[in-house]
Amino acid sequence: MMADDNSEQTKTAGQMPAMKPVVDVAAETAKMETDKMWVIMGPQHPFSHGLWTLKIKVDGEIVTDAEPIVGYLHRGWEKEAENRPYPKIIPMADRLCYAASMTYTHLYCMTVEKALGIDPPDKAKYIMIIADEINRLQSHLMWLAAVGTDLGNFTVFLWAMREREYWMDMNVRLCGARMTTNYPRIGGVRNDTPELFDRDIIRCTEHFEKAVWDIIGLIDDSSIYVSRMKNTGILTPEQCANLGITGPALRGTGVDFDLRRDDPYSNYDQIDFDVPVLKQGDSYARYMVRVEEMLQSCKIIKQAMAKVRALGKNAPYRLKVPSNVPAGRHFAKLEDPRGESMMYLISDGTDKPYRLKVRSPIFVNVSASRELCMGCRIADVPAIMAMIDMCLGETDR
Amino acid sequence: MVYSSILDWVNFPNIMANPYYPFETYNLPYDISQKLWEIIGGTIAWLINLLFPGNPVSEWLVCDMTVNFFALIIFMIVVFLVVFIGILISLWEERKVLGRTMDRRGTMVGMKGFLQCVADGFKTFMKEDTQPRKVDRMTYMWTVSLVIGTSMLIACMIPLSDRWYVVNYNTGLLLIMGLFALAPFFILVSGWSQNNKYSLIGGMRAAEMMISYEIPMLILIATACLMAGTFNIGGIVQAQYDTMPYFIPQCIGFVTFFVCANAEAERTPFDLAEAESELVEGWQTEYAGMKWGLIMLADYMRGYVSCAMITILYLGGWNLPFIGDLNNYVPELVFLLKTWLVFFAMIIVRAALPRVRTDQILNLGWKVFMPLSIINLVIVLLLKMGGVF
Amino acid sequence: MTMDYLEKYRDGRVNTAKTLWVMKPIYLILRLFNKTVVHRPVTILYPYEKLWMPDNYRGRPALAFNACIGCGMCARMCPTTAIVLVECPDDEGKPVKRPQVNMGRCSFCGYCAEYCPTDAMTMSPIVELAEYTRADLIYGPRRLAYDHTTDGMKIDIEETLLSDYQAGNGERRINPAKTDRPVLDNAKCISCKKCFKSCPVQAITMEEHGKNAKGRPILWPSVDDQKCVSCYTCVDVCPKSALHMNEVL
Repeated sequence: MMADDNSEQTKTAGQMPAMKPVVDVAAETAKMETDKMWVIMGPQHPFSHGLWTLKIKVDGEIVTDAEPIVGYLHRGWEKEAENRPYPKIIPMADRLCYAASMTYTHLYCMTVEKALGIDPPDKAKYIMIIADEINRLQSHLMWLAAVGTDLGNFTVFLWAMREREYWMDMNVRLCGARMTTNYPRIGGVRNDTPELFDRDIIRCTEHFEKAVWDIIGLIDDSSIYVSRMKNTGILTPEQCANLGITGPALRGTGVDFDLRRDDPYSNYDQIDFDVPVLKQGDSYARYMVRVEEMLQSCKIIKQAMAKVRALGKNAPYRLKVPSNVPAGRHFAKLEDPRGESMMYLISDGTDKPYRLKVRSPIFVNVSASRELCMGCRIADVPAIMAMIDMCLGETDR
Repeated sequence: MVYSSILDWVNFPNIMANPYYPFETYNLPYDISQKLWEIIGGTIAWLINLLFPGNPVSEWLVCDMTVNFFALIIFMIVVFLVVFIGILISLWEERKVLGRTMDRRGTMVGMKGFLQCVADGFKTFMKEDTQPRKVDRMTYMWTVSLVIGTSMLIACMIPLSDRWYVVNYNTGLLLIMGLFALAPFFILVSGWSQNNKYSLIGGMRAAEMMISYEIPMLILIATACLMAGTFNIGGIVQAQYDTMPYFIPQCIGFVTFFVCANAEAERTPFDLAEAESELVEGWQTEYAGMKWGLIMLADYMRGYVSCAMITILYLGGWNLPFIGDLNNYVPELVFLLKTWLVFFAMIIVRAALPRVRTDQILNLGWKVFMPLSIINLVIVLLLKMGGVF
Repeated sequence: MTMDYLEKYRDGRVNTAKTLWVMKPIYLILRLFNKTVVHRPVTILYPYEKLWMPDNYRGRPALAFNACIGCGMCARMCPTTAIVLVECPDDEGKPVKRPQVNMGRCSFCGYCAEYCPTDAMTMSPIVELAEYTRADLIYGPRRLAYDHTTDGMKIDIEETLLSDYQAGNGERRINPAKTDRPVLDNAKCISCKKCFKSCPVQAITMEEHGKNAKGRPILWPSVDDQKCVSCYTCVDVCPKSALHMNEVL
């Protein structure tokens, strides 16, 4: 399709209509309409996060159509999972979304625990809340860095990455690795929180709650950023429901739904936190929802850490589970930083799964790029696509 | 006459006594270059004289006419080298300052990072020069050369002090502005010649942005010259020394000129040419290797020229306010330091602000900055008529 | 709970005219510039300075040669099959099986250290592993040694049994290497003695249980509870799959 458009364009570009003795201006201008062309924001972006293509059909300056192409990072994850015993899939689940690895591992462990009929101990659930929220912060800070660079400012990138480094240090204190942590286990977590983790995480949270206002000041207090994000890429709640969009994008259109509060898993019903919801539905609303979520995560971490402290050092945190999972079909859902992710397991009584299916929120959200980009200018497209928060690992699996 | 004793090498004649001396006042780079030729040419003449005593070539090498000729050639090299090193220093300053605002150190290798900039420039020159097949050869080569050439020309033409100048025209500032304003046309034609519809769009956008920001710049330059009473750069600096640096009465003009200079030098927040490469490649797409390296250098030269114009028009040029006679020692250094200070402000603006969208840039240029420059003109007119300046 | 950020910025409550359009970002940048020039930026001058890492940092796997018993648990649990057991001479010259790690495939997950029954495999903090060829990335058993192993680098499994947890006795922690023992299906055993030969800690002794139809002794393996490390070698090696691991829950 792209080649045809090109050749048509070059063929008609140089030919002028034949001159008549009396020139009819209206008829002439009607014939010379601007040709629509496909612009490919190709797999190699300067600053994009991940390897995917966005084709946009452009009429002069206005975008009329968009088509995302994903799949460059497909690794056959779901097929590989059918060949491995259940504990060996945990490092693989880490690599589904490498920016927020513990959320996917947590989801996988929840699914297998449901299949086994086992409920992990309370201490493990609270530690997993802390781990989930640390990963939510890391993922949102990576997204914030991408927002800065897509709009042309390197400073936001480096400041957000600096804050992210402190949270990765928290990952190291907890389990020894910065990314791809391999920390949750079926039946609990790998090890207890170490000696000084209590002090470290409270320090990190308090530092972050002060330092994030600097980054917000660079973005929200600058009318250039705000004017580029406001009133572009508008979604309505009906469109979200039809397209299956979840997560901060949904909460930015006015729908008050968050899995952690409305369908609580893993002891989130014992934690008191607010869910930010905004009505406008544009890029700026989605941005604001994510920033507020970051600050709410800090509150959740403090409360969960207090509960872990209250349970004491001797409380159990890891259960011994059998290697063979009884046959059946089970699924579990979790509020990923990007939306609602789900895993569906069909087990057949052996120690390897028969089928393991992953529902990735980004794979669904990116299908909305046509509705998001319709009617905006070319220069708005990076600002809008930055709000989708692409992470290719989970999209392509 | 040919040198005969060692004293001839150190007793230099007065350069202004040479009948072919091309300037009217004392000119420092010409002084340096004439002395350099006296040393080099004198040595060669003396060596040849040792072998063939009394030959005409030695006499010719040190006579007045050839001294003037070779001194002019070395003069070109001296002026160019000083400007080139000045621009490399502003490139180094950008990388270090930008690094520190991002909580990191910037370039660190080689004399606190200066030699790394030189090495980076050298690297771009060594890259392969790919050229698409169907470009329009002549305009492709010529427009790039003209953009680089005019940028270098005006960078060398800016005088660093009363005694460091190339020409001393009475319409000096107009000449510089005129050459500065030629760039959009070359960029437009260059984008067209690359046989790439994205370069064409990029070229058109860069050209339209630069044209719309030249109008406030011209009005502001005319205003500053109106206040000083002359277009001569030396005259403007002297007028500021006599009264006060012009950023005090013309503060609106100062801020407007600063923003327009950012736009002319294609720096963030107005860097369409580099950053449209997210979607639509800019007008520099099809230039590779050495040509691209020289385009980048020309970008920094235009930034340097903008900062130098701000220094001349608003900050008092090469004079410092309260030190009187000490101003005669190293005015060149004072001028360069002020230029680098203005460039520092441009770097801070680059670190803080994101890119502005194309239509918003044009909105700003026509609807905000042009009225501001006219308001500035009105204020200056009132001051002049009231007899204050 | 209050939402501080939304309260401040929702619906454009902070009037951009009050913040003078772009002055706040420029002020923030100048403040950080001042801090990095007067003090220091937050970066470190690697490779001249290095960051401190805690004990449990997961760098490359390290092997204590003399503590390893050659059970192969690390090779069994590795998710990327980066570990293979190879024959090599030990300190006295006898040939023994020790693990060989392919660092190119290693995912640094820590399973080898976690499941090692004798804590011979640990995770050292070495992360500078660059080589010029792929063959150099394969670490033999001697090359895996690391001299400064501390206790914090050893990873152990401390699990709670389900029966204990449901009975309210949640504090007791066990290591599965000490509780799971192989159990024989008597009908399938053919007395080939492969399990006896392959056990790395010689925990299996063959005991006679009568004579078969041809007059040969029927030998069945019996496992010594104290020596067995639950490494699954006998379970894997048995040609009739007569042994299976009994998981104590």
